[in-house]
Amino acid sequence: MRVVHYLNQFFGGVGGEERAGMRLEEREGAAGPGRLLEQLLGGNAKIVKTLVCGDNYAVEHQDEVIASVLKKVQEAKAELFIAGPCFEAGRYGMISGALCSAVQSELAIPVVTAMAGENPGADLYREALYIIDSGPSSAKMRDVLVKMAELAKKLVAREEIGLPGEEGYLRRGLIRDEFVEQTAAKRLVDMIMAKVTGGPFESEMVPTSFEPIPMPPAVKDLSKARVMLITDGGLVPKGNPDRIEGSAATRWGAYSIEGLDDLKGDDYEISHGGYDPRFVQEDPDRLVPLDAMREMEREGKIGKLHNEFLSTSGLANPLSNTRRIGREMAEKVKKEGIDAVILTST
Amino acid sequence: MVQITSALPIAKMVGSNRVVLGHGIVHVAGDASLSFQEEKELRRNLVRDALKALQSAEKE
Amino acid sequence: MRLTLARHPVTDIRFETATRLEGTSLFVDVEELRRNILEDDSLRNVDFETVCPGENCRAAPVFDIIEPRAKEAGGSQDFPGILGSPVTAGMGTTHLLAGAAVTVLGERAAGGSGGAIGRVLEMSGPAAGGSPYSSLNHLIVIPHARSGIPNHAVQKAYRVAGLKASVYLARAALSQRPASIETFDPVGPTEKGHEGLPRVAYVGQIFSRQRKPEVDEQILYGANTDGMLPVLLHPDEWLDGALVPSYYSSLGGAETYFYQNHPVITELYRRHHARELNFVGTVATIAGSDNEDRDRNCRAAASLVKWVLNAEAAVLTKYGGGVPHADLAETARLLEGMGVRTAVMVSDMSRDRRVESALLFNFPEVNAIVYCGGNGTSWNAPQVERVITGSPEAGEALAGLREIGAYNVAGVANQQGASRLRAVVY
Repeated sequence: MRVVHYLNQFFGGVGGEERAGMRLEEREGAAGPGRLLEQLLGGNAKIVKTLVCGDNYAVEHQDEVIASVLKKVQEAKAELFIAGPCFEAGRYGMISGALCSAVQSELAIPVVTAMAGENPGADLYREALYIIDSGPSSAKMRDVLVKMAELAKKLVAREEIGLPGEEGYLRRGLIRDEFVEQTAAKRLVDMIMAKVTGGPFESEMVPTSFEPIPMPPAVKDLSKARVMLITDGGLVPKGNPDRIEGSAATRWGAYSIEGLDDLKGDDYEISHGGYDPRFVQEDPDRLVPLDAMREMEREGKIGKLHNEFLSTSGLANPLSNTRRIGREMAEKVKKEGIDAVILTST
Repeated sequence: MVQITSALPIAKMVGSNRVVLGHGIVHVAGDASLSFQEEKELRRNLVRDALKALQSAEKE
Repeated sequence: MRLTLARHPVTDIRFETATRLEGTSLFVDVEELRRNILEDDSLRNVDFETVCPGENCRAAPVFDIIEPRAKEAGGSQDFPGILGSPVTAGMGTTHLLAGAAVTVLGERAAGGSGGAIGRVLEMSGPAAGGSPYSSLNHLIVIPHARSGIPNHAVQKAYRVAGLKASVYLARAALSQRPASIETFDPVGPTEKGHEGLPRVAYVGQIFSRQRKPEVDEQILYGANTDGMLPVLLHPDEWLDGALVPSYYSSLGGAETYFYQNHPVITELYRRHHARELNFVGTVATIAGSDNEDRDRNCRAAASLVKWVLNAEAAVLTKYGGGVPHADLAETARLLEGMGVRTAVMVSDMSRDRRVESALLFNFPEVNAIVYCGGNGTSWNAPQVERVITGSPEAGEALAGLREIGAYNVAGVANQQGASRLRAVVY
């Protein structure tokens, strides 16, 4: 098995922080921790090349270093690429993650790295890669190398990779389905018995937390404000011209309400599978309250109702879509000089 | 921004700051069981609450 | 209330002139059964097929799957509120045909998360191993509704046809000796003999108000649950025909079979018998239609668990997708706040299979979660020798099937706890 190993200036034996500016160099064979790693990989594994680069240089010239490493890994006909272990070193973690990620996607060979959970490289790359949790201390070098070697061997052999706790990698935040021995009912009752008797239990899922959103200041004078209506209830013009998907929507639309005092069911349809659409189809104002807003506009309670409403479907929509849709809508809101938004959600 | 929704726990969880309770999932700003006039009044009140929330500095 | 189940194993089902159970062979007089079912004049005809365990076959769209069960005289009635008056279920002896099932096919898929194909009874191939139904002997019942009948009447006709067939088949066992008999211990908040053991309750959703039930949709003792508040039920009521699933259930679906063989209730009973816990009772709940409805129902359910059942712990399951998920979490949160420890069973609803997109709740105290899979898992759907469908249209939808998703395979993602498909976070 041909392996290429990436190290920073320190683990490559060149020097400390004062050599962090060194350019990428190539060594024949294993170096530094690579020697033990090669042994642990066992069999016919050979680190054919060790690539060493200064942490500062790597971070400041990331694209160049990545391109260079890709070329060298390819030339070496490597079947496995390993970077680190990086422990707490942040720049080292970032470049190791970036290199592994690039080798994985461009060259489609197995990659392994290791760093502490708090390493900024971990945050950025844990989802894309298997990153062994090395903890902060390089005193654990041997243990970490053992885990890296075990995981690497499995990846090369295309074996099934177990859970983070079993294999020692940082939780990637991904989900996959597996058939297990015990029914959900059995697991449920096991879990409650452990919890109620004070025994240890491991929840099969740990809740997500969302970052708090800073509260925008209140609108000072609504009577002068430009207000826009937005909905995630999937209300679209008949024919769904922008083909907004009813579920996991990737698109949103802006639809004119110029000169309209209320929305007529005949002109619209609903692209959203998560609620009974009859009532809104009958009278779309029940979702996008145009009629009431026009009254507010006429009475001078708001300055002006913007001449479009924005719409998409919120059903079963992953954050990867909705974060982007939200940003794009926010840009439109800013572009149109809107002061306030009313979002109606099903 | 103010959000009108019936799924209050979800809005709270994702951190929506100004939230006004909607009138049901299937007709967040309406009610098919009311007469036309009653429904309009309900919608007007909902929108008024929403506008009030926009002018308030308090998290709702 | 002490329910006794008398089990009669069945290894094959055949059509013959006289309905009877001989050893483990069930012979069925389909003409007699047909006459019985066609007493409902909403139906113009009904067809029957038999399917063996593991047969190279699939059948769709599944309307319901029911274990053949019939009450012995002197106890409760068969499916009270639907087939007869709504007397309390769970009393006396119920004979069941173990290893058999009545599977009713609709003429159209129900829509929703089942798509155009609906739920499929997959008897062989890569998907079948994940479903408990592929190892059963099925009597497939295909009712054909008269044209012009409103949809809700059609569905009611399907429901009644299936339950009637189930009772009809099991009645063949009434005169036979069962292979085994199981009587459940008396359980309840005031039962003696389990002092000092953790008092555990089960809270199960039975309907979601994301849609209004049909006026004549029969769910709980034949009532459609509209406007209902959470209610206390004895576990035996779930097991003995008080409950059937609603017409639409999203994600993995629900079948009567797993109310009759309710995995969570059965497991709680097992542990109760083994003197590990004190099973104090159950609450049937409904996911709310709006915020006020949710608040009212969640609070009512939590109060019943805490103040009437006096439980120390509760396990909760949901019925459906996102809104039920939020209600379940809210009920659990309220219970934790009242000092009742909870464990919840939910399914992964992330579209992109990332933890960040996964849960709809974030209550630190609701920290015991069983995480079921289904989303994003699919299998090859190989060509099979035999395809049984409810109608030519349903057959067309099934014809091009190459891949089948977990939510489309009946039984794989069962929300009452039969599922062995876990969503693993890694």
